[in-house]
Formats: sequence, structure tokens, C-alpha cells
Amino acid sequence: MLRFLIKRMLLGTLTLFAVSLVAFGMFFMLPRDAVATMCEKNCNAERLERMRDELGLNDPLLDQYTGYVKGVFVGRDLGSAQGGWCDVPCLGYSYINNEEVSDIFARVIPVTLSIVIPAAILWLGLGIGLGMLSALKRGTVFDRLAIGFSLTGASMQLYFVGGILLIIFVYTLKILPPPRYVSLWESPLDWAAGLVLAWVALAFLFSAVYARLSRAQMLETLAEDYVRTARAKGLTKSKAYGRHALRAAITPIVTIAGLDVGGALGGTVITETTFGIQGLGRTAVEAVRLGDLSTIMATVLISAVFIVVANIVVDLLYAVIDPRVRLG
Amino acid sequence: MRTRAALAAAGAVALVVALSACSENTNQESGVDTDRKASGVIATDPKDSLGPAPEVPGAVKGGTFTILRETKISHLDPQRIYNFVGLNTAPLYSRFLTTWKDDGKGHVTLVGDLAETPGVNVNNDCKVWEFKIKSGVKFEDGSPITSKEIAYGIARSFNPDLAGGPTYIQEWLADTAAFDTKWDFKANKTSLPPGLTTPDDKTIRFEFAKPHCDLPFAASLPSTAPLPPAKDTGVDLDGAPFASGPYKLTKNTAGVELVFEKNEHWDPATDPVRHQYPDKFVWQFGPDATAQTDRIIADGTDAATLGWNGVATSRVAKVSGDAGLKGRTLLEPTPSANRLTINTQRVTDLAVRQALNYAIDREGLIKSLGGDYVASPMTTLMPPSTLGFKSFDVYPAGKNGDIDKAKATLAGKTPELVLAISDDSGDQEIGTQLKNNLEKAGFKITVRTTPADSKLDDTKKKDNPWDLYLDSWAADWPSGAAILPVLFDGRSIKAEGNSNTSFINNDAINAEFDRVLALDPAKQADEWAKIDERIMKELAPAVPLYADVAFYIHGTKVGGLYIDSIFGYPAFTRAFVKQ
Repeated sequence: MLRFLIKRMLLGTLTLFAVSLVAFGMFFMLPRDAVATMCEKNCNAERLERMRDELGLNDPLLDQYTGYVKGVFVGRDLGSAQGGWCDVPCLGYSYINNEEVSDIFARVIPVTLSIVIPAAILWLGLGIGLGMLSALKRGTVFDRLAIGFSLTGASMQLYFVGGILLIIFVYTLKILPPPRYVSLWESPLDWAAGLVLAWVALAFLFSAVYARLSRAQMLETLAEDYVRTARAKGLTKSKAYGRHALRAAITPIVTIAGLDVGGALGGTVITETTFGIQGLGRTAVEAVRLGDLSTIMATVLISAVFIVVANIVVDLLYAVIDPRVRLG
Repeated sequence: MRTRAALAAAGAVALVVALSACSENTNQESGVDTDRKASGVIATDPKDSLGPAPEVPGAVKGGTFTILRETKISHLDPQRIYNFVGLNTAPLYSRFLTTWKDDGKGHVTLVGDLAETPGVNVNNDCKVWEFKIKSGVKFEDGSPITSKEIAYGIARSFNPDLAGGPTYIQEWLADTAAFDTKWDFKANKTSLPPGLTTPDDKTIRFEFAKPHCDLPFAASLPSTAPLPPAKDTGVDLDGAPFASGPYKLTKNTAGVELVFEKNEHWDPATDPVRHQYPDKFVWQFGPDATAQTDRIIADGTDAATLGWNGVATSRVAKVSGDAGLKGRTLLEPTPSANRLTINTQRVTDLAVRQALNYAIDREGLIKSLGGDYVASPMTTLMPPSTLGFKSFDVYPAGKNGDIDKAKATLAGKTPELVLAISDDSGDQEIGTQLKNNLEKAGFKITVRTTPADSKLDDTKKKDNPWDLYLDSWAADWPSGAAILPVLFDGRSIKAEGNSNTSFINNDAINAEFDRVLALDPAKQADEWAKIDERIMKELAPAVPLYADVAFYIHGTKVGGLYIDSIFGYPAFTRAFVKQ
């Protein structure tokens, strides 16, 4: 187990290194001029050139990259125009937001986590629950309703569902405050009230896929010989289905959930835009729109970290769920 | 000076919109006051610069005034502020050497803010200026504001680390555009830039190598805000400015929220323009224009709220069509003027340029832009909000252009012209509209699409390969001096970075610029209007198109809000929350 973990983490680090190299090369070779965005008016060519020099933008790309990596692990001095010493993990300085990129992410990551984690719990619980139940009650009215519900969800778009929820609960009934992010530690109630619509909207959309998937998986597993054997040897329904069938059925769902959660963390831009909340997704899109290279770079890296971590967690969960899987 | 396109590139929102609870929307279906004229002066009576500002009718104290904006404000450090949201937020927490008394309807007077008057032109040659500082002006910690702190504020604007703000005063003092190499702030923190002196605590003196009659105007920008040297935190001042105005920043959750609360050391008796009605001003960042508009229409918890990004394009029809919302909107033309620039190096035939002016269909163009709530037609180079503005139309052709007159002016010629349009989807439509419009008059128009990122820089290059392109200009103060010489003085043409994108260079006009620039600023206003008409008549270097229109919506409890006449954005100096 430990050996597996170390191996995966090393592999993950290598992946991140490769991502950083490719991303740095791609973005910093673009004909974007960071200095021009810093001083968009009244800057003459001579002044711009001096700023480029001061910020090291005229150095060879490889030197810039090693400087960047060094900043991430030991911190570095960015010069007085960029706020001086930049602590570990230094991800550079954003000329658009006029602050260290790590400060931006320290602010927006909790926002995105606050949207995605509760929403994921909701959609997994709802989706898998519905799917399992309709598999067990196959052909009943409940099954049909559940399938109908999931079909509806799967065919909707977030900005549509979100918009409807906003119109009903915020603009018309006025029983919820306009969506906004308040820190969980500051006020758990405001935190939940400000984000609950985003959770519900995301859960409605995502749970649909899980309901359909888990229903199909469960039906397949229930038809397996070993389940019949388990029942035949006298196990109760709940033990046979719960302990044996469910475990087998859930493995592929965990795989997809890992990818979805990882992906959602790096890409909640539509959710954030619909609800007017500033998280990782919108920060990334803004950065791309305005050519804020350090922020784009950091977004790519952080999204990659999310995906890598989510995949390691999924692999670990496999071992827990499926006794046939041995890590090592 | 700013061009609107540059701002858009920097993330500032380009479309302006506005509105006021007490706005008198008089004429026209849309209610945009297109005949609005600016009138204004530089105050000569020191009484004009005295506080307190007259009470706003119906204003009450208390409450929290909330402003929603999609993205955070890029700079709060007064020396670095140069976008509209910053320019109109800064007066809440900062005071400047001079400021504008403004009724929101184009009637403006330049008065002293921290200074007792808007400046004394010591030798009447605009080379030496003196400002006397008022007594009783204080920072948020109660310490007095003297000429020393104002001079330090100006000195730190020489710091290359603090880029972004206006550079007029620095360039005038240093007498070169490379002001930060001429005087190195970091090496001389305890001294002052060349030409800037503080003979005593009450006096600040500017001595320029060349005449700069616009100093009283330039001194109204936030870069003249005071700062004690001990409070200078360099780039970190952006997160925590040191207040001299009626409010101070008490909470800054970067990118999420700003909370301003009353500064008890601000004395209304010293301030001719600001009030301190609400207990708090809160900026919340995140919701886009659509979400802002929907929230404010719903009112509820957003009754004391303004949406800074204006009425969303998708909600204009709804808001303008709902009589119940009319009292909650602000609709005004702004000083942001848009023109179709003609590259006179390539289009050398005056008749062709005049024919373009006859042919233009402004109504059609405005329709393709989004209608009367987005743009208001213009036939002059200077926008109606300029001091001394006179309405004229050298090429009268009605709302939709006079195709026959244009054809007659062309006298059988069919000029082939290249129109450069950026690759933004909005501009594409405008390109098609202009092509169809002009081709009716016999022009052959080739539309060249060019990346939006670089279009502005490319049109500023002297050897650019285009005949026509769209340009916009928003002056930093409503004087022709900040518009016409900048856009049409040919002696300043360089290889790139030109604001004179028509590339005209006419000796007679250049001489006129020199003559008027040397006049006392109060006497210049009428002269600029004459030069405007003369340029259009003799050179026709552009087709004036439209002024951006401001269209905003606010909650039912918002009072005292107006669209300022200088920048064309909502101003908060008189705002209050109805109880």
C-alpha cells in the first residue's frame, strides 16, 4: 500500500513536471506582452523595455523556467515592482490583479472546493441511490420516474437550470440571498445559503449520469452467477446485494466520479459565471482573456494537481471497494 | 489620456451605461439627452472651493450602499489609478489638489479640493503654478495634510514600480516622457522631483520648463492625492490606501469585497463636493452584468445597490420597456467619442474624405451597435460634454446619410478603401454595416479583419496599411486641449504609438493649437470649438460617429446617484440610501 502510494506520487510529480514544462513553453512563447498589460496607457517603448528587463522577461526562456520552478520550491525575489520577496510556493505575480498569484489561488480554491465538494456528495448520493433503487425495483413506477428524472437532468445545461433556480428562489420568492461565497469558518449558515443553489444545480445535472450508470451496472451485476449463488446459499437480500453486488457495481462509478470531481475542480467556470461567484474557473478564463500569463500557468498546474490527486484517490478506493484489487 | 479600446483590452468594461433616480429624461424616445451641452469654468472665486457641499434634496444619513461589479478594481493606490471605476471610487477615500463640481448634466466647475483655489498661474505664462493648501484637512489617523504629503504623493508617481497612473504632471516637471530616468525616485526618496517645491506647509509650487496651462485640470486626477512618506507601502498600497476623503477602507477581501466606512477625521467644511451620507459603501465583485441587472430588478436585498457594469445588453429591452423601472435608471451620453478615422496619408483626396462624411448612416450604425441605449450620434470631433462645445455639422446629411450628395462630391470617382475591423464579433457587424452603407455611395470597401489584441497598436503605426478604422477617445478632462492637439497635431507623429491616427499635419492648424494652448485655460473653451469646426471643414480627417451612452439601473433605495460629466460613469459623492 505504502509502496503503491509512493510510486504513484512519484509518477504524479513527473506528470506535473511535464505539464509545467509544456505549459510554460506554450504560454511564455506566445506573442503576449505582459508588460503592455501592466502599463496599458502612456508607456513609451523605452520604458516598456526597461520594465521587461527588470522583470526578467528578456532572459532566455530556460532561465525564466528555472526561476519559476525555483520560486515554487524555495521562493524568490520578484523585484519591488512585483511586491518584493515571494514566499513558497511562489507562482509569480499577476499584473492584472496586482497581487501574488499564490494569494489569488489561496482565495479562489476554497471557493471552488466549497462549490464542488458538497455538490459532489449530493450528486453521488442522489445518483447512486436512485440508480441502485431503480435497479432493485426494475420495471416499477419508481424506476420509470427515476429514469425520467435522470434523462431530464442529463439533457439540461447548467446555465439553464441555474437560471431557473435563481428566478424562482432568489428573484421571485426571495427566500434565498443572491449567491455569493462566504467562508465556511466565518458563518456556516451564510456559506450554505449562498451556495446551495449551485450545489443543487450541479447535483441535478451530474446525478443523472450516475443514476443511469449505476442502474445499468447494478442490473448487470445482479444477473451474475455469484449473486445468485449468494442468494442460493441463504444470504439475505440486503447482504447479498449490499455486500456483494453493490461493491462490484460501484467500481466503474468510482472511476468516473474521480475524473468528474477532478475535472469539476478545475473547470467550474459555467457554474461560477451562472451564479456570479469568483472561483478557480472564472479566474482562469479571465486570465486567458487578459493574457495574465502567471495566472494561466498556475491554473494549469493546479488543475493538473487536482486530476492527479483525484486519480490516486480513485486507485486507493479501488482497493477498499474491490477485494480483488491489490495495490503494489 | 485614454482610449476606450485600450481600456477594454485591460479588462475595463467598454460599454458605458448610466442612470439616476432624479434624472430628468426630457427629450427623444430613448430619453438620451443628445442636445446636452457642457458649460463650465475654472472657479475664480475662492468661495467656490469652500465646503460644505450643498445638501442633496431628500438625502438622509445611514445605511449601506452596495455596488456590484464583475471583476475587482485593478488599482486602489491613487497614484496608479487610471480606469473609470478607479477614478470614480477614489473620491470616496481620497482628496486631490483640485476637483470638479458637477451637476451630472454637463455643468462643471473646476474648484480647489485640498487647495484653496484651482491654482494660481503666478506669472501668467503657465510655467509657474502655486496652490495654497486648506486648513483643517486631515488623513484618516487625524494627522494634518500639508503641502509636503501632496508633494510626496506626486514624487512617488515617478516610481517605475507604481506604473499605471496618468503621467502628465511627471512629464511636465521632468520635461521629458522618460521622466523616471530623469529623476530616480528610489534614489531620492527624501527629495522632490525637479520643479516641485514646498516653500512652506501651506504652499506647493510647480515650475515647468514649458507652459502647461492644463495643470489645474491634470491636478484633478487621483495622482495628486496626498500620502505621508511613512505610510508608503509601495505596491502594497493598492490593497490598503491611506484615506483623506470621507470614507476609509476597513476591509479588503481581494477580488471579493471592499468595505468603506466613515472617516471621522474628514471635515465637510473643507470639502466643496463630497458628502458622507451612507454609513458604509460596499463593493461586491463577481456577478456579471446580467446577474447584476436581474438582482436589481428583483430589488429585495439589493434595494440599495447599483450594478456597475450597467444594464446587460440582453436586458436593455426589458428595462427600457418597463415604465415601473424608469425611475431607477440613469441614461446619459458620455464623453467617450467614437469616430471613423481616415488615414490621410493614404486617402489624400479631400473630396473623398468629405464624401465619406456625407455618406455615413449614423442611425443604421447605432442600430447595429445596439440602439439608442448604447450610442448617441455625433457630428463633431469633440463630444458634447467638452467645455465650450458648439453643435455643428459641416456635412449635413440627415440621420441616414445623403448618398446623392456623397456621389456628387465624389464626381464619378469610385475610391477603393480598406477598412480595418477587429476580430471581435461586435466589430464584425459594424464592418458589414459600414461596408454596405458606404458602397451605396460608390466607394469600394474591403474589410480587413485584424486581431483585436493588436489592432489598437497597429492603427497607431505610421505606416499602417489601412485607409479607415474605428477609433475612440475619452479625454481626462473636458477641455479641447485634451482632445484636438492630441489627436490632430501632426508635429508629434512618430513611427508608432500615435494618437494622431489620421496622420494629418497642417501648419495652419498646428499654429492654431499653439496659439490656443498658450491662452489662459478659462479662455480656451470657445476657441477649441472653432478649431474643431475648422479641422472638419478644411481637412475632414475623420467621420465623427457617436458618443457612448451610459445606461444603468439601481435599487429603489438608492438616491443622489448621477453620471459624472467628466468620465461618464456613476459618481458617488452625493449618493445616499433612502430609509
